[in-house]
Amino acid sequence: MTVHLYHWEPNANSGKPMLALAEKGVKFESHYIDLLKFDQHQPEYLKINPDGTIPTMVHGDRVFTESTPMMEYVDDAFDGPALKLKDPKERWRMRWWMRFFDAYFGPSLSMIGWSVFVGPAVRQRPKEELEAAIARIPLESRRIAWRKAMFNQFSEAELTESRRRVQYCTGVLEDHLARNEWIAGKTFSLGDVNGFNLGYALPLSQPDNCNDARTPHIMEWLRRIYERPATRQIWALGRTAMAQRVKFLERTAHA
Amino acid sequence: MLELYHSEPNTFFLKPLIALHEKGVSFQSRWIDTDKLEQFSLGFSGDVEAHLHLEREGPLLLHDGTMISSSFFMLEYIAESFPGTPLLPETAYDLYLAHASGQFLGANLGSLVPILGCVKYQLPRLKAMDQSALEAKLASVAPQERRTGWQALLDGTYTDQILVTARERLKFPVSRVEAQLANSPWLAGPRYSIADIDAYSMLRVIPDLAPEVLNESATPRTWDYLQRIGQRPAVKAALALSRSGKPEQHFVPGVEPSRWG
Repeated sequence: MTVHLYHWEPNANSGKPMLALAEKGVKFESHYIDLLKFDQHQPEYLKINPDGTIPTMVHGDRVFTESTPMMEYVDDAFDGPALKLKDPKERWRMRWWMRFFDAYFGPSLSMIGWSVFVGPAVRQRPKEELEAAIARIPLESRRIAWRKAMFNQFSEAELTESRRRVQYCTGVLEDHLARNEWIAGKTFSLGDVNGFNLGYALPLSQPDNCNDARTPHIMEWLRRIYERPATRQIWALGRTAMAQRVKFLERTAHA
Repeated sequence: MLELYHSEPNTFFLKPLIALHEKGVSFQSRWIDTDKLEQFSLGFSGDVEAHLHLEREGPLLLHDGTMISSSFFMLEYIAESFPGTPLLPETAYDLYLAHASGQFLGANLGSLVPILGCVKYQLPRLKAMDQSALEAKLASVAPQERRTGWQALLDGTYTDQILVTARERLKFPVSRVEAQLANSPWLAGPRYSIADIDAYSMLRVIPDLAPEVLNESATPRTWDYLQRIGQRPAVKAALALSRSGKPEQHFVPGVEPSRWG
């Protein structure tokens, strides 16, 4: 049974199942969905995922739309190296940190990203075109997010709070990685796949918070993941400058 | 050694109490009186996962020196760690359904239900307290998002209009549950699982907090589902631990609503 993955750039939610599949050694058919062209809200895509969110994975007649649970399925359903640990405590820790990334660190980081990148990338189009695009979005929460990005409705207060959280979370992650080689403990796991997708560009987007002097353990952890063959393979699928940011992690880049 | 720090068996706190009873595991109950705000004085702030978990003041399970937090993952931990009645779905796909349900309902019900419950039941109790002592207690609460959750109750942040919106937004997650129950008897396939314990613990108070959203005629499958789960001996035993006799009237602010609006 072929695995079909509908994804955007290897970044954030799209990158999670991409990297998990590559680490697992599972071949998949890649379908690039251009987020900035609103491919994800087109009728053809909504037939596959009526919520209009990215990514979507299809395996046989099963459809998967939540990226973190999707990664657990990839580990459970296919042969290949285990990406979850045997010890229930380490499995719990992996899941705890994935939720921390997905529901706390990630949304603050993405609010900044949407205000400086996604919004400006689509904003110059005619207002009617943008309104029509919003009208096609199935989920209320996504309509709210897109409206904010398209019309630059982020308040200074909420951006300030997002920046505070990103700085705070970067410190929390640095402390965690100072005590643990990998997110769940001693072994590479889905927690690292998740964390890399969230954090690979932190040294570029947050140079004052995340650098060799302030966060040496995050830097070393990112470089170790960047050097894995699966990471190279997946980030080569990127089509925009966004994915290119990963090259900042080359050890020779700043030597 | 297994110790569960919990309050009245409702919402987040009810989940592990059901799971431990389903498993037949004996544990030491460490009662937290949330009416006295005892949860602010537990002293586990040095443990990063106990300090920063996103429910802010849900249950904590101390197992052989490791502090387990975050109620859905706690259910999965209990399911994976102890023998007895299986509480995990059997197939990889059904396990995906359980994870996806826990994530989706955790974000949606986990923020809306506690707000409605706190405004209805917890706020009058807070107002009856000595206000300067209460303010002093809240001033030292960390992380600041946790303090904000309580402060918002006292500040009048939750206006009637916001509560109307919250009840309206509850229809979305409840409709997803209703739709899923058309496919299978339980949320993650043919077997009762952690997904059901997770959902039940939040859903069971909605007929009281937002009766128009969950009732016998509007959501018949979910209504029947709640009756089925409520009849389980483990669920009855967990609810019988209540000291007030009204566990469904005790809430903590819970998961922060989405900051995107």
